[in-house]
Amino acid sequence: MKTDTEIPPLLRLQGIRKSFGGVHALAGVDFELRAGEIHALLGENGAGKTTLIKVLGGIHLPDAGSIVIDGEEVSIRGVVDADRCGIRIIHQELSLAPNLSIAENIYLGREPHRFGLLDRRTMYQQAERLVADLGLDEIRQVRAEVSQLSVAHQQLVEIARALSAKARILVLDEPTSALSEAETEALFAALRRLRSQGVGMIYITHRLEEIARLADRVTVLRDGESIGTQGTTDLDRTQLIRWMVGRDVKDHFRRPTSHATTPALEVDGLRSAKVHGVSFEVRHGEILGFAGLVGSGRSEMARAIFGIDPVHGGQIKVDGREVTINGPRDALDAGIVLVPEDRKLQGLVLSQSVTFNATLPWLKDWITGCMPNESKRREIVERAIRTFGIKVADPQQTIDSLSGGNQQKLLVGRWMEHPPDVLILDEPTRGVDVGAREEIFDIIGSLVESGMAVVLISSDLGEVLNLSNRVAVYRDGRILRMDDADQFTSETIMQLLTGTEAA
Amino acid sequence: MTTLKRMLPLIIAMVALLLVFRIFVPTFLDSGNLLDLAQQISINAILAFGMTLVILACGIDLSVGALLALVGTTTVYFLTTGQTPLGLLLAVPAGLAVAALFGLGNGLCAAKTRMPPFIITLATMLIARGAALRFNQGRPMHIPDSQELFLALGNGRLLGVVPVPVLVMLMLFAMMAILLHRTRFGQHLYAIGGNREAAHFTGIPVVRTEILVYVICSLMAGIAGMIHASQLYSAEPASGVMFELHAIAAVVVGGTSFTGGRGTMYGTLLGAIIIGILDKGLNQAGVHFSLQYIIKGAVILGAVYIDVRRAK
Repeated sequence: MKTDTEIPPLLRLQGIRKSFGGVHALAGVDFELRAGEIHALLGENGAGKTTLIKVLGGIHLPDAGSIVIDGEEVSIRGVVDADRCGIRIIHQELSLAPNLSIAENIYLGREPHRFGLLDRRTMYQQAERLVADLGLDEIRQVRAEVSQLSVAHQQLVEIARALSAKARILVLDEPTSALSEAETEALFAALRRLRSQGVGMIYITHRLEEIARLADRVTVLRDGESIGTQGTTDLDRTQLIRWMVGRDVKDHFRRPTSHATTPALEVDGLRSAKVHGVSFEVRHGEILGFAGLVGSGRSEMARAIFGIDPVHGGQIKVDGREVTINGPRDALDAGIVLVPEDRKLQGLVLSQSVTFNATLPWLKDWITGCMPNESKRREIVERAIRTFGIKVADPQQTIDSLSGGNQQKLLVGRWMEHPPDVLILDEPTRGVDVGAREEIFDIIGSLVESGMAVVLISSDLGEVLNLSNRVAVYRDGRILRMDDADQFTSETIMQLLTGTEAA
Repeated sequence: MTTLKRMLPLIIAMVALLLVFRIFVPTFLDSGNLLDLAQQISINAILAFGMTLVILACGIDLSVGALLALVGTTTVYFLTTGQTPLGLLLAVPAGLAVAALFGLGNGLCAAKTRMPPFIITLATMLIARGAALRFNQGRPMHIPDSQELFLALGNGRLLGVVPVPVLVMLMLFAMMAILLHRTRFGQHLYAIGGNREAAHFTGIPVVRTEILVYVICSLMAGIAGMIHASQLYSAEPASGVMFELHAIAAVVVGGTSFTGGRGTMYGTLLGAIIIGILDKGLNQAGVHFSLQYIIKGAVILGAVYIDVRRAK
């Protein structure tokens, strides 16, 4: 897709290479960004996206290749150089000071001052003008404290800050990973407005959906190489996925056939601080999917069932027997496992080894009194690694060093040493690349076939619809409608969730 | 194997220090001198064993120094008012009970409330110190010579050679190393220190474990307090000042991470030994005590810096 215009592109990367100790992180990346373009960069984890960002941000110096901005070759040797070239990177983890106002954050480190004193009035005026010029109406209350804003609006503050420093090239690193559907839409609207003002944006993601909705072009990165670029007007998804994984995969997930038998988990009138009377049952051999928006209270429901949050009322039965759950231990003893939504905060002990994490739930199996049985421990780990195809060089390596997908597989797999009756999965594919996603689905599928009851909570509508046997549509701590999965479409669910149609 | 590898820098540092002080103090490596050294290390090591557990659980216990004084005074109080030999049978459990009570208080506050352990134990440090000063108007309480058994705790020597405090220390070390490295409790502790939330989700009894950690730490302070009183032939309500900081220093020099979840009991023992060598060596080499502080401070800073760099 070459244009024969006289104007050179805003940014052109040619043959960028970078290796660390003999390992190629980037093995030849060609990339082009025009002014007023949103160019998506797509790739699995480990494809080299992060390294490329660091090259642009001046953290890594490339071994070979050229970076050309406005037709002039530049060398980015540090953050200061990147700034001068007008490149700003908006990271997943925002770098705002939550206790300060929007305006203060925009001008952090460059505060307007008079006689050595902070000139608040000028700062607020400048901030208001900047925000108005950019059309970022969502954050026009520049005196508001940043901690009061939603994550999406915080991102806009970050973007405004970048643009106030005369940035012309924005690199957005998976900005929607923590956003709800509605917030994502708001962010996209703002990005489109910025595009019309000539800002060039590199949009990093692994969500195909977003590319079609937002980007003008998409370039796929695999194993450190740019594989190909497509325009998004007639997006060929099958080809994109083939580019990404280097092989053919099914774009759509395979729904395990229901083997539903007797009820495994029965929840009746469950109430907690954020759950307002939820009743459902899941049978052995089926997946019940919970569709809902981020923040709808589905995780809170799972937490209440699992004994993390205090329960205010309701009844829980496992295999027909009523159980009292006052903590995770009770839930586990009753045969309920919850794999929590935040892998790093709630799931793993990141500083410890794969072995430590894999065997933590089953200490009784390999420690009697003060006699740890290391060979038994090894067996447990190896069984989990083998059964679930977890890619691990050495079980003693820290779990930190595993990819997100392998971490997630371990988090699910470790409970299968003694399979529970009920498995609750909260966002099992968040931050997991396409290949690992498929593998996790396969794992879930085989568990269901073996008779497990699975509760699947996911903010990915397609995932819930395609994987579940039955679907519960959930909003504000209540189930709006529950039915067989084929009774729903994405549209009917979205209508229920956004309230455009009465339940 | 991996443990030995991790301990290697500490072992090298220890040997190097011994050799360096041998240059300045020709008698430094004599067996008599080394036994003295071991004796002097005992109390700090015992405190550091308990402190290791607390720091592994992302906590801190500033109250151990004051508690050491309080348990000493409580024990000696019961020892001198009761009748021998019943006095000992009453005094030791009473002292340990006081220790356990403070540990329970620290642990309950730390595990059940959102108060930071630094503040909790700062408060209980003051309370313990005040309670200790209530005895005998804050003046030292002499232990009568008739309490031979109790005096032997601090001053006796097994077969006339090995000091009893060293034996107690080694016994406690073995117990604590087994507890930390070979039991479910130890695994729970590493999980809680590494990620409290994840430990909770895995079904680990987080609250119970945390409380137990503080109780054990306080019991260690209690035992150290009894040895200390015995060594001084009297319980001194004002003793133990800054002991908590020396214990913390031994723990961090021994490689335990201050952010929790990483560290070993072996490291702590080596850390206590290294600090002990430094103390005794500088003393015997005739270095002015003001300089001793400065050198010790620099060593702690250096040790922790190396550890942080290695962890990266």
